Formats: sequence, structure tokens, C-alpha cells
Amino acid sequence: MKAAGLRPAAAAAPALGVALALVPLIAPHNITVLNLGFFTFLYVAQGLAWNILGGFAGYISFGYAAFFGLGAYTTALLWLHGWTPVLTFPLAGLCAAAFSLVVGVPTLRLIGPYFSIATIGVGEAMRILMLNLDKVTGGASGLNLPTVVPSKGWFYLAALAIAAVAYVTAVWVRGSRFGLGLAALRMDQDAAETLGVRTALFKNVAHVISAFLVGVCGGLFAMYFQYLHPDNVFSFTESISLVLIALIGGIGTIWGPILGAAVFFAVQDYLQTSYPAFHLLVYGVLLIVILLFEPRGLAGLAARLAGRRRVPAPVAVTPAAPGTVAPPPAQGGAL
Amino acid sequence: MSAPAPDFGAATMTSSPLVLEHVTKRFGGLVAVESVTVAVESGKITGLIGPNGAGKTTIFSVVSGHLAPTTGRVVALGHDITGWSPHAVCRLGLCVTHQLVRPFPDLSVLENVMVGAAFGGGARIAARDARREAMAVLDFAGLAARAEQPASALTLAQRKRLEIARALATRPSVLLLDEVLAGLTPSEVVQAVTLVRQISARGITIVMIEHVMHAVMNLSHRVLVLNYGRLIADGTPAEVTGNREVIEAYLGAGGDETPHD
Repeated sequence: MKAAGLRPAAAAAPALGVALALVPLIAPHNITVLNLGFFTFLYVAQGLAWNILGGFAGYISFGYAAFFGLGAYTTALLWLHGWTPVLTFPLAGLCAAAFSLVVGVPTLRLIGPYFSIATIGVGEAMRILMLNLDKVTGGASGLNLPTVVPSKGWFYLAALAIAAVAYVTAVWVRGSRFGLGLAALRMDQDAAETLGVRTALFKNVAHVISAFLVGVCGGLFAMYFQYLHPDNVFSFTESISLVLIALIGGIGTIWGPILGAAVFFAVQDYLQTSYPAFHLLVYGVLLIVILLFEPRGLAGLAARLAGRRRVPAPVAVTPAAPGTVAPPPAQGGAL
Repeated sequence: MSAPAPDFGAATMTSSPLVLEHVTKRFGGLVAVESVTVAVESGKITGLIGPNGAGKTTIFSVVSGHLAPTTGRVVALGHDITGWSPHAVCRLGLCVTHQLVRPFPDLSVLENVMVGAAFGGGARIAARDARREAMAVLDFAGLAARAEQPASALTLAQRKRLEIARALATRPSVLLLDEVLAGLTPSEVVQAVTLVRQISARGITIVMIEHVMHAVMNLSHRVLVLNYGRLIADGTPAEVTGNREVIEAYLGAGGDETPHD
């Protein structure tokens, strides 16, 4: 609420954003850095978005490729029909959000692993459906898109902007009444209901918000890549990536998906060229080590290294002097 | 006195904040609650007792919306709430505590209560107001010193208090307490009884399921006795303890021991 409630991490985010935004100005021709930045930001945004449902509400979805793919194809098809690609991004998000409602209304009634398994089914079904809708999606031969595109620097900044929007959304959700309801239903759905939380509504709203953001990411990806294939944008690997990013970075935290995406792509970029597929082994080892020793992921590790005592929760509690009522950071920022 | 007064419900039905009309709940072949009709008196404490498995918690679940009755109606605060979902029942002003306490473990004590304040009955309030209201409720419930601790760090007695505080924060007109004294030490029971009295003094109608007999007999204006899903007695504590059917069904035939367990 007050400036005193702001943590250094909250102030670090805008500073980091501005610093990163200057990179294309300093090195406009360093394609390697700009590409790495583009993909990292794209996955930071998706990790943050996934975390709104997966981390805050505790519904682990393995089906987000469906939203990414739908967003990508929405932009691609409208672009081919003469739209300006940037103007299709909101529609890409809306299309993904609408589909998330179709999926979420029945599946979000399921609890825990049952929901996760259902989302695997939905994700794979979408991939196979799109592969067979060759009149629309180009099917197995894919879809070629126009090649008139802006510079790498533009894409870098666009991805950064989406990541920033996702960050602000996540921070807002966590500090809001809505976020409090999500935290409550994550820990005990029945108790949350008893206290007046509309759990079914809240879960679906969280799903819709995150699907929208991932759909926009898909749209930007289509514009960048200029070629779409269902096996690519609807792949299970894409879905798994978001789960890995959140888990490695720290599920349910704000900084987790940011750190997770950075490490995820640093590892992939470093290893993929020299040792293809070796990065998957690294992720596996990393995941096991993290789940065993620091279930709060890199964000939890960072907090521990910083010497902060933290409750293992998305809504962290600041160590307050006895008697004083210091607002926990979760509610400190927004509202 | 062997049967509940048959005319009682009809006479006060209009002013009662909670009325059950022929509520029956079956689980397959098992009749957990059988045609229970009762009207709870406004602003009073009503005790609901009975042996284990008598259907007490089932009645609470039917009222709270966690279970739909097989037949019958539940009318609360002027609305037929039969089949409403639990969040809607809570927002109407009727809140239930859980027999097994269920704090949100990773939230602080204050945040636990904030959930009730932010989502309970009455007008929708901002997070800041919810925080202030939650703090006031914690003060009232004697948990203010623990506000910033995680709920998982509380003792059982404190968790029961938290369960009550969270329910109170939803601004209920009717509060259903499910065994809030169970598992407490005698001195904790005394403190909890005081808290229940204070809540009642605020004008909140209370229905409490309780096994700690001396407490429930002390607190209640009226006691309902349930056995095998049927209401077998309804009256003042003195009337109920003198009722032969209650003594036989609840305390055991030839009950000469002090009613404590």
C-alpha cells in the first residue's frame, strides 16, 4: 500500500525492463543477442501467464500449447487475409481465451492430477485436429507466411513488451482480492467456498487471463517465424516448457518464471548447437535437484541466499518486528 | 416431552433466520438425516447434540450447501437456499466452521481471516478494508498477536479460534459451529466458551454441534438431540437432560453418570 511495502525486487523489475529495452539501441545488429532475448521474453511472458493458473491457483496444466498454437494460427490466417499482423494479436489472445473457457469449464472441476491429465489430452487432441484440418492450417505441410517483417530489434522489443504486460498482470493478480481468492482455493477449495470464494468462477478467470497472454505470444511467434506447423506450435514440448520454466524458476512466485525462462533458454542456447537434445537431460537433472532441495525453485534459492526468511508460499510474509503489523508484500503493491 | 413440540416450527417460522423443513438426506441405502423440521430462534444459541453418526454434521453440510438434501427445504434469512452453492450461502450471511480445522496453511493468520472479510457477506470491499476488518476480528478473537504468523504454526486451540475468526469475518447473521471445543484442554474450553458467548452477544444466531456436554448445556438456550438421523428431543438444556429417550439413546440406558462424554 505504502512505499514502505515495496520490496527491492519490485523496484528491480522496472529497472531491469528499461535496461533490457536499451539493448537494441546499443547493439542493433547483434542478431544472436536479439534472438536470444526475443525467445527468452516470449517464454518469460508465457511462464508468468501459466503461473497465474498453475502457481497461484494450483492447477497444473500440460495443455498450454493449444493456446499458443491457436494464437499463432489466428494471427497467421488473418495476416494471410490481409490484416496487419500486429493488429491481430488481441484477436489471437481472445481466440485462445475463448478456447480456454471451452476447455476450462468442464476440466477445472477436476482436482489435482486429474486436471493435469485432462489437459494433456486436450493439448494432444488439438495438435492432431490441426494436423488434419489441412484446408485451414496447411496440415502436415505447414503454412508459409509473408516475409515482409520488421527488424530483429522490433521483435525483441515486442516480446519484451508482452513480458512486461504479463509481469504487471501477475503482480496485480497476486496482490488483489482475486489473487487472495486463488491462493485460498489452491490450499483448500471447500474452505474457500465456505468463506464465500466463487471457486469455479475464479479458476476460469485465471485460466482465461493466462490463455489470453499465451495466445498473444503465439501471435507474435507466428509473425516472427513466418512458418507454422501444427507439430511445432501445438507440440507437447511447448506445453512442457512452460511447466518446466515455472518449476525451475519457482512455482507460484513472481520472479520464478522470469528466472526459469532465462535459465531455460540459456541452457538450451548453449547446449543445443553442440550437443543436440542434451539440454533435455540437463532440464531433467535440474528439475529433480530443485524438487528435492528447493521446491520454491530458483526464486526460493535466491531468497534463501539473500538471507531472507520466507514462508514457502506465493504470498510471502515479511519478518515483522513483534507487535508491528507490517503489510506482507503480496498485498503491499496493488489495490 | 418425548417428542419434539410439533407446533414450534410453524409458529416462529417467519422470524427464524434458519428453517429446515422435512430435510432428508440419503446416501444410497443409508438415511443420514430423516425428515428433520426445525426453526432456529434468532439471536440465540442452539445446541445440536447426538451420538457419533447421528447426522449432525450432515445437517450442517446440507445447510451450508456442500450437500443437497434428498428431499426437503432449507430456508435462511428469507431465501430458499436449498441447492445453493456454499459461496452463495456464505454471502447470504450464513457461515459454517469445519469440524476438522482447515486453515490455509501457507497464508498468514491475518490473510486467512482476510479471505473471509474479502469474500463474505455484505458489500464487496477492497483488500485494504478487508485487512483492517480482519485485524479487528483477530483482536476480538484474541489472535491479534499471531496475525503475521503462518497459520500452520498455530496450536490446535488457536486454529479453532482462527476457524471461528475466519467465519466471523464473513459478517454472518447465522454462525454454525461444528465441534469447536473438541480436542481442547479444559482451560482452553473455558476461553472458547467465553468467545462463543461474546459472539452471541453481538446478536449473531449460533447453532453449535458439540460433544463437550457441560459446555453445550451451559451455553445453549435450546438443545436439539439427533439420533439415527431423527430429531428425538428439542427443548431447554434442563428438559433435554431429563428426557428418558435422550438418556437412553445418547448417554446409554440407565444413564447415571455425569453427562460429560
